[in-house]
Amino acid sequence: MSALRRIFAGMASRHGLGVAFFVAGAVLVWIFVLIVLPQVAMLDFSLRHNLPRSEIGGPRDVYTLDNYRYFLFGSGSGLNTLDMGVLVKTFAAAAFVTLIDIVICYPIAFILAHSATGVGARLMIVGLIVPFWINDILRAFAFRVLFGATGVVNGIGQALGLWDTPVDFIRADVALYSALAYTYVLMMVFSIYGAVETLDRNQIEAARDMGASWWRVHWRVVLPVAKPGIASGATMVFMLTAGALAAPQILGGPSNLWFTQLIYQWFNDAGDWQRGAAYSTILLIACLIFVFLTMRVFRVSIGAIGK
Amino acid sequence: MNRAIGGGLFSLGYALLFFLFLFGPLIIMVITAFNSSAFPRIVPWECFTTDWFGVLFANQRLMTGLWASLWIGFAVVALSVPLGLAGALALSDLGPKARAALYGTLITPILIPGVVIGISTIVFWGAVARGVGAGYDSPFFNGIFLTLLGQVSFIASYTMLIFISRLQRFDPLLTEAALDLGATPGQAFRRILLPFMKPAIGSAAFIAFLASFENYNTTVFTILSGNTFTTALASKVRLGTDPSLSALAVIIIALTLIGAMVREAHARRGERLRRSGPSGLYASPLTRTLVHPATIFVALAGFAAFLAWQGSRHDASVCRANILREKQEMQERLLREQQERMHRLQQQAPAAAAPQAPGNNPSPFGGAFNPNTLAPPASTIPAPAAPPPASANPSPFGGAFAPGSLAPKQ
Amino acid sequence: MTKDVVLDHVSIRFGSYTAVDNAHLSIQGGEFFSFLGPSGCGKTTLLRCISGFVQPTEGRVLIGGQDMKNVGPNKRPTALIFQNLALFPLLSVAENIAFPLEVRGVGRKDRRKRADELLEMIALPGTGDKKVHELSGGQRQRVAIARALAADPDILLLDEPLSALDLKLRQHMRTELRAIQQRVGLTFIYITHDQGEALTMSDRVAVMNAGVIEQVGDPKTIYNRPRTPFVASFVGETNSIPGQVVAQFGTTVTLQTPLGTLSGQSGGGRDHRPGAACLLFIRPEQLFTSGSAPGANSFLADCEAEEFEGSVQTLHLKAAGLPLRLCRMNAGGLTAAAPGPGALTIGYDPQAAIVLPQGADADAAA
Repeated sequence: MSALRRIFAGMASRHGLGVAFFVAGAVLVWIFVLIVLPQVAMLDFSLRHNLPRSEIGGPRDVYTLDNYRYFLFGSGSGLNTLDMGVLVKTFAAAAFVTLIDIVICYPIAFILAHSATGVGARLMIVGLIVPFWINDILRAFAFRVLFGATGVVNGIGQALGLWDTPVDFIRADVALYSALAYTYVLMMVFSIYGAVETLDRNQIEAARDMGASWWRVHWRVVLPVAKPGIASGATMVFMLTAGALAAPQILGGPSNLWFTQLIYQWFNDAGDWQRGAAYSTILLIACLIFVFLTMRVFRVSIGAIGK
Repeated sequence: MNRAIGGGLFSLGYALLFFLFLFGPLIIMVITAFNSSAFPRIVPWECFTTDWFGVLFANQRLMTGLWASLWIGFAVVALSVPLGLAGALALSDLGPKARAALYGTLITPILIPGVVIGISTIVFWGAVARGVGAGYDSPFFNGIFLTLLGQVSFIASYTMLIFISRLQRFDPLLTEAALDLGATPGQAFRRILLPFMKPAIGSAAFIAFLASFENYNTTVFTILSGNTFTTALASKVRLGTDPSLSALAVIIIALTLIGAMVREAHARRGERLRRSGPSGLYASPLTRTLVHPATIFVALAGFAAFLAWQGSRHDASVCRANILREKQEMQERLLREQQERMHRLQQQAPAAAAPQAPGNNPSPFGGAFNPNTLAPPASTIPAPAAPPPASANPSPFGGAFAPGSLAPKQ
Repeated sequence: MTKDVVLDHVSIRFGSYTAVDNAHLSIQGGEFFSFLGPSGCGKTTLLRCISGFVQPTEGRVLIGGQDMKNVGPNKRPTALIFQNLALFPLLSVAENIAFPLEVRGVGRKDRRKRADELLEMIALPGTGDKKVHELSGGQRQRVAIARALAADPDILLLDEPLSALDLKLRQHMRTELRAIQQRVGLTFIYITHDQGEALTMSDRVAVMNAGVIEQVGDPKTIYNRPRTPFVASFVGETNSIPGQVVAQFGTTVTLQTPLGTLSGQSGGGRDHRPGAACLLFIRPEQLFTSGSAPGANSFLADCEAEEFEGSVQTLHLKAAGLPLRLCRMNAGGLTAAAPGPGALTIGYDPQAAIVLPQGADADAAA
């Protein structure tokens, strides 16, 4: 408490009392009203029965673990492999998309940081940013146009005689994974770029000079420097992919659900908000566990995220 | 680029491939906006048309959603910019430990899935509404109000990141100098720190508006029964597509490109003037005016308006009629052939094998849907002008998109 | 109006770290006063304390007889010139200079008039509408001074303002600063780690080390009569010769050293017991070569190398394993050729040599 008062006094003496009040008020409202309390409310809500409005607050409105039990065991006796499978599959797919992004973005980040100069570098940056000013939905739509049965990819493939009948890229999730990887390319490139850029060119040249092959230079010199950038980029891409909703809705195959779609169904189709809240709590906890594990494994602090 | 490790050719080739991946989908989408075909596609090309823009603007749901989105976007800017600035200022004043804790807290909304934010927002404000006994007509059940709060909670984190990186370049001695010269803390803030933050405020406002406008994951929950532009767009895409969406993409891409060019001109001008003073293009008043961002903006906007005006006068009806006639003729010919074949079949032995597929299938779909099928011919060739029926299979997407469709693989 | 500054037993601590330890001195109105010390000695902290950015943990700061406790930096009659100048990059030169007037509510026209006057004074007329980054280093320096003067302070505080300039400009600005100070007649408190700056400009100098003020005095006293080993070795070049006290007569102390029996003046007027470990400090320019055989206060040394800098010649000597430096002026046709290797007889004036106890600190000197 006294520490808070000291911080407040410091702020007031530097920027004035008005600014100090504004900062303190805004940060408190943001943290509590917009971040913490809604999550607490969601957790509370997920521990309740789905009751008609008239019974809320009544004798039947008691805490229950039913919604979580449902996720584990379904309505029957056996394990709810369907829903748990969707969660595992979502995470596996998100990890896959993240991996793709790392692989395709690392060279570009390196080229941007250490090979491109002047106009080339400027053009590349503009070229990276422009596609991301286009709406998520339209991006997914573009991939539908691209990968549809009469889409460009099928057209080219068939014209070249690579395959005869149209390949259903949608059902094979190729379109979905491509679109997700595409969507978060920018984030990954700039994360890695930020780290690789700090590398001194001379180190690369010295290593080359000593006769290291180019892949060894990358493995021993560049990658260690890029690691924090890769870790923070991977964390963000993973979280965004696991939490994606639009792309799976538009590009997901019919038998292939994303965990967010399950939540959406509980809310909008089944009208069971409590269960939806429980499922989204599960998603939140799973994601947070993942973030902390990543930061542990790669020894990155949360301060590195968003840089 | 030729000094890259691993060879310049590799770098160049890789960069080209990468940007092909980035721009390919967009370019194809743009082209489909001008094809009169009812499905967004390039081949077969039917007629050059600008009609899809008209279809787009006639979509009532999208247009009302657009107003909601604009209104929400401006409100989000008005809230998230001050919040982000406050967060960044608070962080700049803390010791390392407290700073890490606060940073971790304020950055989490970026890491929390948007879906979760949406749900927690409606649940929380629903609980508040119950607490104060507010009814369904109160703001707590107003989609726009909830969307605003839900979006601000994480968009403020984005703006905060922008402010943090700007603040890191601020020399705190400037504030001390101002105080030392007799300014009150408030004067120092208004006269020294705030002007320094101005460019960051601009870009934060821009990013906040864009993030708000494009947001789907949170908004689809918080908007309740209403619609923003993006959620209306999503439900349209989910329920079947037509090239009016491509037309929308054309408009957005055009706006983006104009914005990028004006920004680039602005950045270049600032950099040049800072570095070497007025020289080169910036020396003579004429060329200086020519490369001024405002001039470039006016020129580009004028060019775009001219293209739009030209486009609006373009009439594809003759071409469309031709295509229609061609298709009808083709259909009739197919029908005739089929009838002849049926006729021949009836004349031959009743136990004859299945009829041969037409050798040279003239269907615009390349025979994708009717190879060796026994289905009646009329259903394999959709009526040319009819929109794709959402239920039937002849959609070029093979029906895989029909929401909830569990149809077995073709 | 000039005001005096009194530091009344001021100590400043950050946690367990003591930045300034019991600083106690008074600076007279109209004086050019320097704090000289290596980086990290606490001199900047002391300056920030006078200007009001740091509160003393103990003691008081008085300006013009008034206790400055709870008086904010914007309310004190001081103006600080920062090491990096801290000119406002988004304001024009004139706006920078007029800033103190602006925040005091002076009207636009009067502000501009005063800014133009000050630009005239610092010999930069007509640059008012330029941006700060369009000026050269020396010009910025002068603008910072003009801005501080516009605040109409009684005391000008300068935190190593010349350190960013190149050598020539630095030497020029020394003269300029001194001239400005004499013209405006304000109290200048100047912080530097450069002894040349401190000695050339100041009326008085305080030498600081590790938070402690070791000696206060005019430049000549500081240089010629250091009171602690730190002051002797930090201000100017010096040779130090360890030894044991044999006897003391008045202020003259005789030491037994590896070079023989040598004597010097007791620094700070201390009395030394026989047998105490002491250091004898002799400036390189006080040593001279002598043609005769070694006698009292002279010794034999080898010349190891010679440096010729034009006006000055430096000999690197070694005597009984101790490295010594000898400087002599090039007084036309240079005195004799460089002495070759072999024994030289080196003499000095015992009146100019200082004897200080080993490990002596400021408390002993006070």
